[in-house]
Amino acid sequence: MTAIDVPGGPTARLGGRLRLRDSGTGRLFGALVVVFVGGYLASWLLPGFGVFPESWDVGFAEPIDRARRWLINNQTTHGLYTVFLNPISDAIDAAIRWIESALAWLPWYVYPVFTGVGLWWARSRMAGLLGFLGVWVIGVLELWEEGLSTLALMGVSVIISLAIGIPLGIAAWRSDRFAKLLRPTLDAMQTMPGFVYLIPFVLLFGIGRVPSVISVFIFAVPPVVRLTEVGLRNVAPSMVEASEMFGATDRQTLRLVRLPQARPAILAGVNQTIMLAMSMVVIAAFIGAGGLGQVVLRSLSSLHVGRATEAGVAIVIMAIILDRFSQGIATADPGRDARWIRPLFGGTVAAAIVGGLLNHSAFPEALNWQFAGYIDDAVGWMQIHLYDIADSGIGTGPFSDFVTLNLVSPLRELFSSAIPWPVMIGIGVVLGLAARGIRLGLGIGAALTLIGLLGTWENAMDTLAQVVVAVVVTLIIGIPLGILAAQRDRFQTALNPFLDFLQTIPSFVLLVPVIMLFHVGRIPGIIASILYALPAAVHYTDLGLRRVPHEIGEAADSFGSTRLQRLRKVDLPLAAPELMVAINQTIMLVLSMVVIAGLVGGGGLGFEAVKGLRRSDSVGSGFEAGIAIVLLAGILDRLTRAVADRLRPPPAIA
Amino acid sequence: MPGAVRTVGVSGLWKVFGRKPAEALAMAREGVARQQIQDETGCLVGVRDVTFEVNQGETFVVMGLSGSGKSTLVRCMSRLVEPTEGRVEICGADLTAADAAELRELRRHKIAMVFQHFALFPHRRVVDNVAYGLEVQGVERNERQERARELLSTVGLDGWSDHYPQQLSGGMQQRVGLARALAVDPEVLFFDEPFSALDPLIRRDMQDEFLSLQERLQRTLIFITHDFDEALKLADRIAIMRDGAFVQVGTAAEILTEPANDYVRAFTQDAPIAKVLLACALMRPLAEGAPEGSWERISTLAPLEKALPLLLASPNPLVVCDAEGEPVGLLHGEDVAEVVAGNSR
Ligand SMILES: Nc1ncnc2c1ncn2[C@@H]1O[C@H](COP(=O)(O)OP(=O)(O)OP(=O)(O)O)[C@@H](O)[C@H]1O
Ligand SMILES: [Mg+2]
Repeated sequence: MTAIDVPGGPTARLGGRLRLRDSGTGRLFGALVVVFVGGYLASWLLPGFGVFPESWDVGFAEPIDRARRWLINNQTTHGLYTVFLNPISDAIDAAIRWIESALAWLPWYVYPVFTGVGLWWARSRMAGLLGFLGVWVIGVLELWEEGLSTLALMGVSVIISLAIGIPLGIAAWRSDRFAKLLRPTLDAMQTMPGFVYLIPFVLLFGIGRVPSVISVFIFAVPPVVRLTEVGLRNVAPSMVEASEMFGATDRQTLRLVRLPQARPAILAGVNQTIMLAMSMVVIAAFIGAGGLGQVVLRSLSSLHVGRATEAGVAIVIMAIILDRFSQGIATADPGRDARWIRPLFGGTVAAAIVGGLLNHSAFPEALNWQFAGYIDDAVGWMQIHLYDIADSGIGTGPFSDFVTLNLVSPLRELFSSAIPWPVMIGIGVVLGLAARGIRLGLGIGAALTLIGLLGTWENAMDTLAQVVVAVVVTLIIGIPLGILAAQRDRFQTALNPFLDFLQTIPSFVLLVPVIMLFHVGRIPGIIASILYALPAAVHYTDLGLRRVPHEIGEAADSFGSTRLQRLRKVDLPLAAPELMVAINQTIMLVLSMVVIAGLVGGGGLGFEAVKGLRRSDSVGSGFEAGIAIVLLAGILDRLTRAVADRLRPPPAIA
Repeated sequence: MPGAVRTVGVSGLWKVFGRKPAEALAMAREGVARQQIQDETGCLVGVRDVTFEVNQGETFVVMGLSGSGKSTLVRCMSRLVEPTEGRVEICGADLTAADAAELRELRRHKIAMVFQHFALFPHRRVVDNVAYGLEVQGVERNERQERARELLSTVGLDGWSDHYPQQLSGGMQQRVGLARALAVDPEVLFFDEPFSALDPLIRRDMQDEFLSLQERLQRTLIFITHDFDEALKLADRIAIMRDGAFVQVGTAAEILTEPANDYVRAFTQDAPIAKVLLACALMRPLAEGAPEGSWERISTLAPLEKALPLLLASPNPLVVCDAEGEPVGLLHGEDVAEVVAGNSR
């Protein structure tokens, strides 16, 4: 058997690639020339040469600000609030309060023990021990109350997400029509950087925990909906038939067969939802969610890197515990340890009640110990010694300056003014046309124009420049790592825990160590985005290459190709669709991080959005920036996906 | 044949897969070939005008090559697939006319199925798999578990109830499948190639066990197989199926001795006839009283291979006796020779 025997297979795949190159290149080039000539001509004729004309700004901010004022004034009187929003708001608020007071009532020592026992049950003794110690760390760092507050918020958000998400998933499985409606909605929800969800809810509910919970819910719900549906759809028909043969009703089959069979998928969705909720709960500190996120935010804003680090550590500990626990539920098998775990669990419950009655809720102050001081000292030291080593012009500071001056700023200039905006829009249209067709091309054109009309052109191009730099660097590092991981199992095994760890860190927390090294500016945001997106780039490259059928690789070897030749001529082309997915994911993750980095001097749309959240007079412009972020995300996502689809082999001829 | 109460009646059953069943049905009625119908309408005739009856306690085997429509037939009979036309009657109830609730009732109490690939629920313990039908009926937990354990011991799986199906070997899994079907105490059981996924040795064990179970339980069994030897071994009557239609229906002896056409003959040619044909199939009924003398005696259920040496050793026919030892017929050497020789041609 050689590759030649497989008609619909590899040759067709390569054909898919060639099409894009051969017939496309000439026309693509021609179209770009037209765009450049036409665009330059147009920008001669239009005011402001190349800069998006200010007079075209539709002034969307103003009505938003007006709406905000109206909303504030009518919060207690208008039906929208009294009948609809306030009851929701009150219910969520009550739930948070109730859970928080319940958590605060429990004695502090129940938490480490319960975590330890839970992780022991779900994973292993070692995980249990580490979890036990981890919870102590949170208390020792004097972050106990903030931790509980974050936990309460997580609890409410996750419960709401599951209580709504799982039934939605079931409904989507039941009705194809509903699924058809829901899927693009979920897609859109997942392309948006979580950060922008905060904006509309702040507008409606003001600052506080209620809008936080709602935006966390919106951000975190898609995976559990999706995976519930997928899990139910993948239940083997033979199982369903067997059940129906016994005269089970649809409901019985759902409860007794379908849902249990879909359990692993649903739990995977629950895990993802919990992790998204965790990262969003931290980001929601921007709108007054409080808790650990707020400590990070406050400390970062005042450049108390030490305290920010402590809170970051606490968040990461919490995230890892929640991740490992929710991952472990599906496969939990304590085996013989069950005889220890059960009484221990019972004992913990008893201790919880007794300790609660005895009012043992506060973490003992005697145990407090903080390392913020050391970190601050270290940061001070680094800023003297690393930031610019012996004033030699070598160090992280000059590095930042160098990259900013020579890479990021020129690119921003290029996008925002050197290339006139009509040309940029034209390029977008042509790329969309080439990747999918007229509709995508026009859609991109419209979206870009709208970005301009919102008065956000310059900021958007600033953000785009940062995204481009971060994406290119991520791919330059990530793709080779992925190739290595695909070729050497041992390398993959060594790399995985590190990537896993990176992925567990909520995006916002990633900024902390980067700030330590690079101070504020555009560079820490870019570096944090690289770290944030790297796991996905490596993972999808690895996955794509591993999916290349073994025989095809062997066929290449049989012709005597070198390793590099095989990689270049066979493996990479065949893995091209997955590589495109890697690029797509990298772009989306980078974008969501670059936006958050607006907080630490990242500039661009993110800065506008942050400002909108923090200053009540800038809500309108923050809203505009939010829309621009959504549009930019949509453009980049559609475009990369279209290319990925192009690279996929045509369906085999039946 | 055991008691003559009819439990299963199928008449004029058709199943057409595809978008234009009515058109395809009309063409098929005019005798247009299956392939031509498919080319012209895009519809596939899965079951073609099948009519038969099965009596209480009888094992009716449907035999045919892969794709001949056997599964489609049983699936129509249990309405896992909706028949295009025709009528299926189970224990006097018209299954084809039943609404959803009636169908559920019939499935809960009258029929059950054993699947080729077991179709056990991997998330339920063995005992909960067996109890599934009872759980669906709303039987209370302790009662259904007790009944399930009882059945597990019937099929020889004591001590496995708390395992999960995937922890069992293929043969054991199919025993669970059998116990699960029997747990609801059905009148009619459908077996869709229940043993084809098993190793030959285990398959033989399961067949033997199947026979002894049936001897005790006396249910009406519709058994699908593509293995002619299996059909001969298990069947009271066999239907040979081809392209969705029954080519021949009869006892093993009838099919072996009078194959309806070349298609059937192709199966019978290689059949180990001396092993599968029983004395009762070829005996000539006793016309007048018991014969005199010291002629050799043989049981009605003895295969021909047992009779052959005895026949060769004496010039007389053998006396065939029933279970009580009463003579019921005579087995003549020339009859046996004819069948065995005709078969090995
Ligand atoms: N749902 C369906 N839609 C269309 N065609 C079907 C469907 N189910 C079965 N068929 C076709 O009907 C024909 C008979 O299939 P069936 O499964 O009944 O055969 P079988 O005799 O059970 O074969 P096997 O021994 O392989 O199980 C086959 O050609 C099959 O492709
Ligand atoms: Mg079949």
